[in-house]
Amino acid sequence: MKPTAEVVQAASALSSWLSGVCTEVNKLSSDVSTRLERNLAGRSSVDSAALEGLDECPRKFLTKNSYAAGAGTFFAVETLGEGVPALDWWARKEYGTIGRLDLDMTPGSSRYYDYEKLPFFSTAASTGEQSMWGPYVDFLGFEEYILTFAAPLGIQGRFSGVAACDIRIKDLEPLIMPTLRAISGDAALLNASNRVILGNSGSYLVGERIKSGQPNQHRMNLDVPHLGLSLIYMV
Amino acid sequence: MASPSSFQSQIYRSLPEIERADAIVDRITKAIGLGLLKVGERLPPEAALSEMFGVGGATLREALGELRERGVVETRRGRSGGTFVVSQPRTQTDVIRDWFLSTSISEIRDIGDEHSAIAATTVRLACERAEAHDCERLQELARALVLADTPEVRAPADSRFHIEMAIAAQSPRLANAEIRLQEETVQQLWTPLTVAFDPEQATAEHLELVRAVAQDQPEKAQKLVLEHIRRNIFHLIDKKLTLGYAQSNQDGQ
Repeated sequence: MKPTAEVVQAASALSSWLSGVCTEVNKLSSDVSTRLERNLAGRSSVDSAALEGLDECPRKFLTKNSYAAGAGTFFAVETLGEGVPALDWWARKEYGTIGRLDLDMTPGSSRYYDYEKLPFFSTAASTGEQSMWGPYVDFLGFEEYILTFAAPLGIQGRFSGVAACDIRIKDLEPLIMPTLRAISGDAALLNASNRVILGNSGSYLVGERIKSGQPNQHRMNLDVPHLGLSLIYMV
Repeated sequence: MASPSSFQSQIYRSLPEIERADAIVDRITKAIGLGLLKVGERLPPEAALSEMFGVGGATLREALGELRERGVVETRRGRSGGTFVVSQPRTQTDVIRDWFLSTSISEIRDIGDEHSAIAATTVRLACERAEAHDCERLQELARALVLADTPEVRAPADSRFHIEMAIAAQSPRLANAEIRLQEETVQQLWTPLTVAFDPEQATAEHLELVRAVAQDQPEKAQKLVLEHIRRNIFHLIDKKLTLGYAQSNQDGQ
């Protein structure tokens, strides 16, 4: 059965908004990479001098993209020199200011944020493509219910970490709900593992896994490369 | 210094920012709203109140003054004097509307998640521990909801039923958790901002739940209470969608 015009329209609006986020994160990654390559001037491991002025990129990103709650870079451990912080992460704080987020990076510590094992990092590392992870509660990190959009970061063609941004589920809701509400039946945006990111009614609640093969439930894949997103709707 | 993350800030969260007098007004108002303090009831003497709240006499008098001004309590002089609860506080529709506008669907779902956890264990324990007398009382409380004829009295009737279920489960901690959850959402459920919530169905569900508890059917009781909460949350989300995104349905993009 062909999807109705309102579904097609919503899917295209969602795809275009989400692709926009991907484009911005990709650009963040290439900005960071350009800056690092310039600072490194041929050296291979990221040292403190290489980080000079790096914070400008995520700060600019957050100023431009008001939907994001945080943005920055996580480095692959093997590219880091002695004593260099593993992340350069900036988050929106109270009163609209942007501040650095410090996480516990001591292995073995009870608050250790083992980001290399987290999907937003490991997916970028293993596939070399953009990814989106969530909704998840970022315990020990930003500690909110969020989505993370990540893009691999290369230094002279070598995988060196990820550039990423966080969007709080709470902030995403007013941004894409109007699009979903334009669909008259129950509908929801799903992530690659079939969990709800946002639904247009109480029938699809954020976080729930949707079983496929339900009667009257249809699916349309969104045209956003690598993220595996889809729109489901009841007819 | 980096600002602490949100779980950490749970530990260091600032004490309520509102003045302590306002906090007392809020506590007493909510307690009356939930039916924990009844109209006609006398509050403890001022000295005892100051001590229990841990505030000075001036702060307490300020709070009582505010409650008097709102017409919620009255202070009478003389031998049988004291401060008495004289009326149900009026539901503050604006406050409730603001709650819906500022609370996201994911947060409403999260309230439902916590409520489901608390309620599922509560009814299971009630099956094990409730006496026949408790079940009779719960049945009465369930019927009180359908007899209540205004939203102002439906909210306390509804929350009272759930709190007393935790009392029947004989767990003071679960009862406290239930009180906190009721304070957070029961006004939102019954305040008629959009579609009115149906007291007859809620009552029917309460009564069925009492039957399952009385017959010691923990599986069934748990299933019923989870469905009940799911329906409440569904209603809250519906209200949120109507109040927060009313335009989007007509306008499309």
